[in-house]
Amino acid sequence: MLRYIARRLIGMAVVLLITGAVTYVIFYWMPSDPARLSCGKPCTPETLHQVRAYMGLNQPIWEQYWHFLEGLVGGRSFGIGQAAAQCPAPCLGYSFHQSMPVRTMIGTAFPVTVSITVGAAALWLVFGVATGMISAVKRGTWWDRGATLLSLTGVATPTYLVGLLGILLLGFQWRLVPVNGYANFTDGIGPWASHLILPWAVLAFVNAAVYARLTRSQLLEVFGEDYITTARAKGLPERIVIGKHSLRAALTPIATMFGMDIGLLLGGAIITEKVFSMQGLGYLLLQGVGQLDLPVVVGVTLFSAFFVVAANLLVDILYGYLDPRVSLA
Amino acid sequence: MTSEPIQLNRRRFVALGAAALAAPALAACGSGGSGSAKAQKGGTLYILLNSPELDDPATSQSLGISIIHLLHRSLTTWDTSGGGQPKVIPDLATDTGTPSDGGKTWTYKLKPGLKFSNGQVIKAADVKYALERSFDPALSQGLGYHKTLLAGGDKYKGPYQGKQLDSIEVQGDDTLVFHLNRPYGDWPWIASMPAFAPVPKASDPNPHTYVNHQVTSGPYVLTQYQKNKQGVLIRNKHWDKKTAAPGTGKADKIVISLNLNPDVINQRLISDSGNDQYAYTNGASVSAALLPKVNGNPTAKSRMVVSPSGALAYLVMNNRKKPLDQLKVRQAINYAIDKQAYQVASGGSVIGGNIATTLIEPGLNGYQKYDPWNAPVNGDVAKAKALLKSAGVSGLKLTLIADSSGSGVEAKTQAIQESLRRVGITVTIKMMDENSYYDTITNGKGDYDLHISSWLADFPSALGAIQPLFASDQIGNGNFNTALYSNPAVDKLINAAMGETDAAKAAAAWTAIDKRIQQDAPVVPLIYSKNAYMHGSKVAGFTIGQFPPYPNTLTVGTAG
Repeated sequence: MLRYIARRLIGMAVVLLITGAVTYVIFYWMPSDPARLSCGKPCTPETLHQVRAYMGLNQPIWEQYWHFLEGLVGGRSFGIGQAAAQCPAPCLGYSFHQSMPVRTMIGTAFPVTVSITVGAAALWLVFGVATGMISAVKRGTWWDRGATLLSLTGVATPTYLVGLLGILLLGFQWRLVPVNGYANFTDGIGPWASHLILPWAVLAFVNAAVYARLTRSQLLEVFGEDYITTARAKGLPERIVIGKHSLRAALTPIATMFGMDIGLLLGGAIITEKVFSMQGLGYLLLQGVGQLDLPVVVGVTLFSAFFVVAANLLVDILYGYLDPRVSLA
Repeated sequence: MTSEPIQLNRRRFVALGAAALAAPALAACGSGGSGSAKAQKGGTLYILLNSPELDDPATSQSLGISIIHLLHRSLTTWDTSGGGQPKVIPDLATDTGTPSDGGKTWTYKLKPGLKFSNGQVIKAADVKYALERSFDPALSQGLGYHKTLLAGGDKYKGPYQGKQLDSIEVQGDDTLVFHLNRPYGDWPWIASMPAFAPVPKASDPNPHTYVNHQVTSGPYVLTQYQKNKQGVLIRNKHWDKKTAAPGTGKADKIVISLNLNPDVINQRLISDSGNDQYAYTNGASVSAALLPKVNGNPTAKSRMVVSPSGALAYLVMNNRKKPLDQLKVRQAINYAIDKQAYQVASGGSVIGGNIATTLIEPGLNGYQKYDPWNAPVNGDVAKAKALLKSAGVSGLKLTLIADSSGSGVEAKTQAIQESLRRVGITVTIKMMDENSYYDTITNGKGDYDLHISSWLADFPSALGAIQPLFASDQIGNGNFNTALYSNPAVDKLINAAMGETDAAKAAAAWTAIDKRIQQDAPVVPLIYSKNAYMHGSKVAGFTIGQFPPYPNTLTVGTAG
């Protein structure tokens, strides 16, 4: 087991290294010049040259990436003298646009993303699995069809549409929730939750559908297994047959998907954050791309990639517990 | 770096116009201003912005009437009252500057008794230091006209490595002498830019964080500031109204909400509830999608102010590319374009913009209405065809590149495409993402035939409308002579006009240059694009003058 985890951790590091390198290469190949955006107006060749040097853009790409990796371990500074920008280790890069280390920016944005993710994930897991169970148990009834219709609507509707409609109705029309923005958890649980309830609901509505469909099909498959027939034949109450014997077997693929979804979402819910004016990781990434802010893009990409990779590992380990047939070695 | 009046250069070089609104039949109220109530002293104002942050004076590209000047005063400022052309008036300085040496040297004296928000006396050395720090590559994003003009500026790298810029001479505590590398008549306008706001050296140990604890000279101080969220401005106790420009510093407190979705801003202003009654925006122009909603609501409609004029939208031809390098072909395209179709695509005359025939936009000293083509607003197809024929050009195929994020970009590019189809020119539209687009047009390589641009001068002088777009040293390097137009005779005229210190003579010179350039037909003026902004019902003094097409934030107040 430990050897398995160690092997996977090394694999993780390699994946992250490659992710960072690929991000650098993509940026390098883009036709735009980030220094030109920071050169001011009007821009003279002398200023452009100085800005390039300050940003480190006059070095070859492999050298830029190497300095980035060095900074991860030992920290970096940019510029000379009193005006030099400091980026202490582990330095995930320094944003020249925002005049701060990328790590500080991620530090501010991550709680927002976590808040969105945790609430939304809890909601969609509960509603998704519950809806799926009802559909499976009451297969072919109006319950099933209603749930299917609701799920399909969720799957088919884009987040931004549901989000904007939600803001329009609940925010502007009925004034039940704040229109947008984010309140820190430290400002009180009330303001925090009231700002988040709409994004939670929107993300849950869009995502729950997939879980409902998956739960339904998994359960129906399990219902056909011999051991379920046996359990029923033994006279076990339906509650236990479904809740204990069927659901547990159906859980493995759901856990896989849930782990991956959470990992993805922790990397930033770009559209949701944009619609609700919340400055989480998704917003940071979008802003970084828009401003050609390579350090932000690389930093956030790596940070997000870390969660996806970590979620992968976690799910694989969890398999062993959820499904006794799986053994890790 | 914000997107109120104020934006990154490429933002203000707004692809395809700033105010792209779709309903041509809109009857906008009170072009220029609304709310008859006079702005009163006191109260709290709210400003709703889509921009995520407030700027350091050195990194700001703000115009003279923008939010940054609620905090910082420069040597001079803009007077946009009175509905005519804006005037440059003294702010921290006693006058707008005294030229000598044929406009190569400019001298300013500070008003007596001026103090920073920390109580410290404002000295000439604080202005010198503020300008010097704008040369540091870490603070390079702002308006930098002074950096190209101050002698020795091309070699200077800022004060943080212990060096000073000798061409900014300080005499005593209150006198500044600027030594320029050329005669420059518009220096009084340059001296209104944010970088000319004093910064006390002792309060600037770290240029990266100065914005968070800036020491101010304007009517307000920044008490709370959280990037992406809000900034709270309260009165600067040391600001003396007697030394300030008329009508400034009305409200007691100003709360600026940052990083809001533009549609949300306008929805809130339409709804006009609670504190939003005291709110306004100078960044989120009313979008096409929201117009019907504004029109359907008489009170909301009365709270929308449309600028009388604005940025020049124009069709750029690549003057170096065959066969656009031939004058006759460019003239033909000037005749062929249906400007009215473009106007309709931009939202019509009331809200989209008026038909443009000049390069200098209305509201600038030097604007004179004239039409070199005397063609109908729909173009003159016969003349265009004849010109193409005499140039020996037929079956011409051109590529028009456009920024896909520009508002109403499809309708606008199609209006151009359709115009040129009538004279037998086939236009292929190539949409690009914003960054690639700006890079392509400003890198000087000229990998395009046509593109549509919009330009608003950075200061109310014809110089700001002509020189950045048509001087040959403005090609490439991220600069905006994207027609790649180069005419030594015109360069000479521009050079002479830039040095003219007499405003009337300069205006006449710029008018003549406008006409001279159009003889070469490097571009096709399309419309002067308008902007439309909403304010709450308890906001007063919300006016938009001839130039710029933004409300003057310095004189807005509450209606009591």
